[in-house]
Amino acid sequence: MQRIIATYIKEWHLMRRDLGGLALLFLMPIILIIIMALVQDAPFKDYKVHTFDAIFVNEDGGKVAASIRQGLLESKQFQLIETYNQTPIDFLTTQKLIQKGSYQFAIVVPNGISAEVVNSANVIANEMGRQMGLTASLPHRESREGMSVQLMFDPVCKPAFRLAITNVVEKFITKIQSDIVLERIAKLSQRTDTDTGTFDIQKQLQSVGVKEISSHEKKLMVSKMNSVQHTVPAWAIFGMFFMIIIISDSIISERLGGSWTRLKLIPGAFSDILIGKMLFYVLLGIIQFYLMLLVGIFMMPWFGLPSMQLGHSPFLLCIMVTCLSCCATTFGILVGSLFKTSNQALPVAAISVVILSAVGGVWVPVEVLPDSLRAVSLISPMRWGLQGINNLLLRECSWNDIVKPCAVLLSGTMFTLFLSWVIEKKRMDQ
Amino acid sequence: MVHVQHLFKQYKNTEQPSVDDLSFSFEKGTIVGLLGPNGAGKTTTISILCGLIRAYGGDVNVLGMNLKSNTEELKYKIGVVPQQIALYPELSCKENLIYYGKLYSLSGKVLTEKIHTLLQQFGLLEHADKQIKHFSGGMKRRANIIASLLNDPMLLILDEPTAGVDVQSRSMILSFLRSYNEQGHSIIYTSHLLDEAEALCHEVLIIDKGKKIIQGTPNAIIKENDTPNLEALFLKLTGNNVRD
Repeated sequence: MQRIIATYIKEWHLMRRDLGGLALLFLMPIILIIIMALVQDAPFKDYKVHTFDAIFVNEDGGKVAASIRQGLLESKQFQLIETYNQTPIDFLTTQKLIQKGSYQFAIVVPNGISAEVVNSANVIANEMGRQMGLTASLPHRESREGMSVQLMFDPVCKPAFRLAITNVVEKFITKIQSDIVLERIAKLSQRTDTDTGTFDIQKQLQSVGVKEISSHEKKLMVSKMNSVQHTVPAWAIFGMFFMIIIISDSIISERLGGSWTRLKLIPGAFSDILIGKMLFYVLLGIIQFYLMLLVGIFMMPWFGLPSMQLGHSPFLLCIMVTCLSCCATTFGILVGSLFKTSNQALPVAAISVVILSAVGGVWVPVEVLPDSLRAVSLISPMRWGLQGINNLLLRECSWNDIVKPCAVLLSGTMFTLFLSWVIEKKRMDQ
Repeated sequence: MVHVQHLFKQYKNTEQPSVDDLSFSFEKGTIVGLLGPNGAGKTTTISILCGLIRAYGGDVNVLGMNLKSNTEELKYKIGVVPQQIALYPELSCKENLIYYGKLYSLSGKVLTEKIHTLLQQFGLLEHADKQIKHFSGGMKRRANIIASLLNDPMLLILDEPTAGVDVQSRSMILSFLRSYNEQGHSIIYTSHLLDEAEALCHEVLIIDKGKKIIQGTPNAIIKENDTPNLEALFLKLTGNNVRD
C-alpha cells in the first residue's frame, strides 16, 4: 500500500509541475466543450427561432404566389428578397446570386402555378361534390405535369438545412392548397344552395396535431433535449481520452529517462507502481469529467445556453465515469508501452482519440453512421461510455442499463492492460 | 559471491550475440572492473546480473542464490546505478529519494535519516530540495548513485558512474566506492576510463564481442602481458579499430 500511495504522490508532484499537461487535461476540454456546445446549439433549436434571408421570385403573379409570399412573411422565419438593384429579381439573377453564395436559397414560383392549383382544387371539389350527390361542377382541365414551386440552394448548404427548408416551404404549400380546395368546395356548395351552417372545416382539419411527449414515465426527457445535454457528456468523454497523450508520454519519458529501469529493479514493486499510476490517472479522469459537468451546469448559461441537468443517479454516473476513466488510463498505458518514443506515440494517441470519438458517436450519433462504421464503433470505448452516460443523463435509466457498457469498458481495461504486460514482457525477453 | 557460467544472450534481429559463452567469478568484498570497448556486452551482462533482462543460456549465481529462481529476492540485495540518470527531472532530489526509498519499503525516521546521511556524504544536502533538472552533471551522477544505495545493497553494480563528471565529483564518487567496499560490500563497475579502473579495481575483466578476453588483478595482467599500463593492455587485446 505504501508503494501505491508513494507512486500516487509522485504522479501528483509531476503533474502539478507540468503546466502544459494540466492545460491539455483541463483548460482545453473546457474550451472545447463550450465551443462545441455553441456550435451544435443551432441544430438543436427549432427552426422557428431562426430568420433566413430568402430570394423570392414571383413569376406566377397569381393567388398562389401571393399566398405563399404572405405565409412566408407571416411566419417571420423568412426575410424575403424580391428586388435586386431596385428591379424585381428574376430567375437568372437569382441563379447568379445563389451560385455566388450571396444568399443561401431561393423560392421560385413559376408562371402557371396558381392556375394549376386552382384547377386541381376544382377537380377535387367536383369529385367530392359528385360523391355527395351534388349536380353542379366547377370548370377544370387536364392537369399539367411537372408544375412545382422550385427551391434553389447554395451548393455549400448541408442536406439537413435543405431538408428543413424544403419541409417548411412544403408545409406552406400544403396549407395553401388545402385552403383553396376548401374554398372551391364552399363555392360549389353555394352553387347548389347546400347549407353548411356554422361548420368550421379548417378548425376540424387542425383538430389533430403532432406533439412531442416524454418516453419516460417521469416526463423528464423532452425538456432535456438541448445542445448542452448532448454536447457536454460527449465532449467530456473526448477530453478524458486526451489523457492518453499524458499517460503515454509519462511512460515513455520514464523509460527513456531510465526511471522505468530503476523501477523494474525494485523487487515486487512493479505491480504496485502500476496500480498507483493507474489510480492517479483514473481519479484525474473522473475529476476532469465532473469538472466538465460543472462547466455544463454553471458556465453554459453565461453563453446563453441552457444549464446542464444531471440525472437522478449520481452514484451510477460515478460508476460509469470510473469505468470510462479506467479504460482511458489503460489505453494510455498501452500506447506508452507500444511505442519507443514520444514522437511516435503522441500523433498515434491524438489521431486514435479522434478516430475513436468519430466512430464512437461523439461527433454524430452512431445511428447515422454507415453499417461498416457502426460495426467498427463497437470497439470504441467512447461509444460504450457515451451510451452508458446518455442512459443515465438523458434516458433516466437504471443500473441494468449501464451494466453492459460498464462490462465492455472494464473488459477493454483488462484487455489493454494485458496487452501492455505482453509488450513489456516481450521487451524484457528481447 | 558472483559465479557466471556460459552466459549467452543474443538480441532479436541481430546477427551477433551480445554475450557469448561468458564465464567469470569473483569473491565477496571485491571491486571488479568490467571493461570493454563499445558494444562489447558490458551493459547486457550487467542487465542480466541484476535481473533486468533474461539470458538465453548459461547460469548465474549471485550471493549464493541462483538468479533464475531467486530474481526478486536478489533484487533486494543488489543496487544498480544505471548509465542514464534514472531520476525524475521534475522532482526534487529529496522527492526522488523519498519515492525510491518508499518503493524499497522504507519509511519514517529510518528513511529520513538514511537520505540525510547519503546526501551529506555526497555533498548534496543543501541541494536536497532543488529539482534534478537544475542539477549539474556531477550532481546528477551523485544523486543517481544515492538512489541505488537506499536498500543498502550487498552488491553494487555501476554502469559508467563517472562518465561526464568533473574532477571533484569523480574524486568524491571514487572515494565513496572505496569506503563502501571497505565496509564489506562488493562492487561491479564499468568504465571507459582505464586509469580510473586500474587505480580503483581489485580485479578487472576485459570482454569483447561478448566473450571474456582476460580476468585478473590489474597489476598481474599488466605484468603478464608486458604492457606499461591497463590502457596499453586493453588496446593490445581489443585492437586499435574504432568501434561503433
